[in-house]
Amino acid sequence: MLTSPTKRWRVLVGVAVTGLVLPTATACGSSTATGGSAAPAGALAKTCGTGKTFTIGFAQANNAEPYRQRVNADLMAEAKKYPEFKITIADGQGDDNKQISAVENFLTQQVDLLMISPFEAQPLTPAVTQVYKKGIPVIELDRQTVGDQYTAFVGGDNQAIGKQAGEYVAKTVLPNGGDVAILQGLTSTTPAIQRTDGFQEGVKENANIHVVAVQPADWLPDKAQTVFDAMLRAHPTIKAVYANNDLMANGAYLALNGQNKVGQVAIIGTDGLPDPAGGDQAVLDGKFAATFVYPTGAAQSLALAKSILVDCATTVDRNTVVPTTVVDKNTAPQLIAAAKS
Amino acid sequence: MTTETTQTVADLAPPSVRLRRRLPALDILVRFQSLLGLVLVLVGGLVFSPRRHGTVLFLTVDNLANIVRAVSETGIIAVGMTFVIIAGGIDLSVGAVLGLSGVTVATLMVTHGWGTVAAIVVVLIAGLLFGLVQGAVSTVMRIQAFVVTLAGLQVASGLARMVSGDKFININYGHGHGLAPPSFAVLGDRLFGNVIPVSAVVFVLVGAVASVALNGTRFGQHVFAVGGNERAARLSGINVRRVKIITFGLCGLAAALSGVLDAGQLSFANPNSGTGYELTAIASVVIGGTSLFGGEGTVVGTIAGALLLGTLNNILQLNNVNADLQLIVTGLIIVAAAVLQNVAARRRAT
Repeated sequence: MLTSPTKRWRVLVGVAVTGLVLPTATACGSSTATGGSAAPAGALAKTCGTGKTFTIGFAQANNAEPYRQRVNADLMAEAKKYPEFKITIADGQGDDNKQISAVENFLTQQVDLLMISPFEAQPLTPAVTQVYKKGIPVIELDRQTVGDQYTAFVGGDNQAIGKQAGEYVAKTVLPNGGDVAILQGLTSTTPAIQRTDGFQEGVKENANIHVVAVQPADWLPDKAQTVFDAMLRAHPTIKAVYANNDLMANGAYLALNGQNKVGQVAIIGTDGLPDPAGGDQAVLDGKFAATFVYPTGAAQSLALAKSILVDCATTVDRNTVVPTTVVDKNTAPQLIAAAKS
Repeated sequence: MTTETTQTVADLAPPSVRLRRRLPALDILVRFQSLLGLVLVLVGGLVFSPRRHGTVLFLTVDNLANIVRAVSETGIIAVGMTFVIIAGGIDLSVGAVLGLSGVTVATLMVTHGWGTVAAIVVVLIAGLLFGLVQGAVSTVMRIQAFVVTLAGLQVASGLARMVSGDKFININYGHGHGLAPPSFAVLGDRLFGNVIPVSAVVFVLVGAVASVALNGTRFGQHVFAVGGNERAARLSGINVRRVKIITFGLCGLAAALSGVLDAGQLSFANPNSGTGYELTAIASVVIGGTSLFGGEGTVVGTIAGALLLGTLNNILQLNNVNADLQLIVTGLIIVAAAVLQNVAARRRAT
């Protein structure tokens, strides 16, 4: 229940919508007794405290991506630890306009806290700012909006993850050097740029490693298969390939398989999802040499939500960077087992 | 001159008295199916709206304004599409043209330092030309509009990637290099006490102008005539080719306008913007009662169709119904609209 300091009497009038005059409706907001106490001065949330229930709206960028499905699953699993939270996930369907509508609808519903992974930063910024300015705390997950109009950010560091993958190739996969290829995500996306940059930086540790081909495959396995097939023909000397996500790493595996070169080229992926179709299983099956976990940050973000809504925190960490872990033959089994439990 | 669709009820009245009694109701239902559907959905919105502190959340001014804003881009495209479809064509390129127009207007301002008006006018003309060329290729070379505009979709999306260098463009406002003129930001503003989005106003204006053009001009009559019976239209002296080409031009213009609005609302341009919008636009047109076989339809119906889809999505989202179900419900409504039309068409044929 919402106890806003200024009790709102809003007279709401149905508007004439494009030549269609709707019956004019008037509804008066009435203040209801909430039983709870208003938030103490300086608290981040308008309403907070123990013994209440809170609705949290999560505006997801695109449910159709395996990584984002994992985020949703992690969030719902983690939410079981917080019986006072009611979490709703709205799918932005990979479209800025749709995600803006989802944020606007959460505002209409008067959620107690907004969580969002913006599909793209700049377009979502005004909508998120609007929510934040109404006094609703905003936790951004994985991707940030522009500026500082949000309460906290939780996410991985794409540059660091790419760099770690590069160093892993430089030290562990190809200690004696060799030719390396990169399959990039959609080039207009920040993770694709940062992971690729980080990787290029990481492999510099070994002067004998040469990046001979960098091509975008738009995050897609089928496109990665085609692109890597061509790369292999143009550069038969390639000894390792780094893909910005595991789906493209899978595409690279299919291309290798098609040319009967499985085992001759080491595949390094990114995401490290523990699902049966995810990268961890591919590592376990020996398809990938390794993959690097892009953490969902579900636990961290809900812990933040708890301190804002339940503990009435006046400040929280503005930036929570969730570290990556390398998934190789040794760590894959336990990660898969942990996700099942 | 009279065209098939301007002779409505009287023309459709079947010989038997028994049928004549039943037909008007069905005819009214079909003619205004989307308006009636919209009213139904609005009533549903009232009934199922979540309430807080006694406030019907669905009915808040902000929420209704949000609905119109959310459908304004596909709605404007749907209005343009209505002309093409009534004339017997289809345009699949609109979503890609939206993306192309967005990155073009952004590039002109951000990279080349153009003013707001010049950039918008050039992009609108380009969209118009893109449509005219598609129409010309389709009619002169006698290739189905479906194929030509499918090719147009690919070309526009390739051009969009080329213009943008395959990168998204953040539009930041100010004066000087790399900044867009602040006047462009108006497209993302809200008017009348910061309530009514500019894009919604543009949508309403476009709808009004298009409705007049379709129903109150000679050109509008020709569009119906061409779509209703091309041969008859030609024999009665209508320049069928020209009419068809112009409808594609108008549709391209509408798509370009949506692209400009998209860039203005988001302060951002992405070559992939608009992907799939052609389908939402066509759905709005079909739900609006326009026949895919051409010859009949209304702009008001299309607008109501677009608002129906937007309102439905809004109610479902306010009730936290997941997006997958929203798509399925949309599909069912399209089928229902098509079935209604078929029934009416069969009645007319007998």
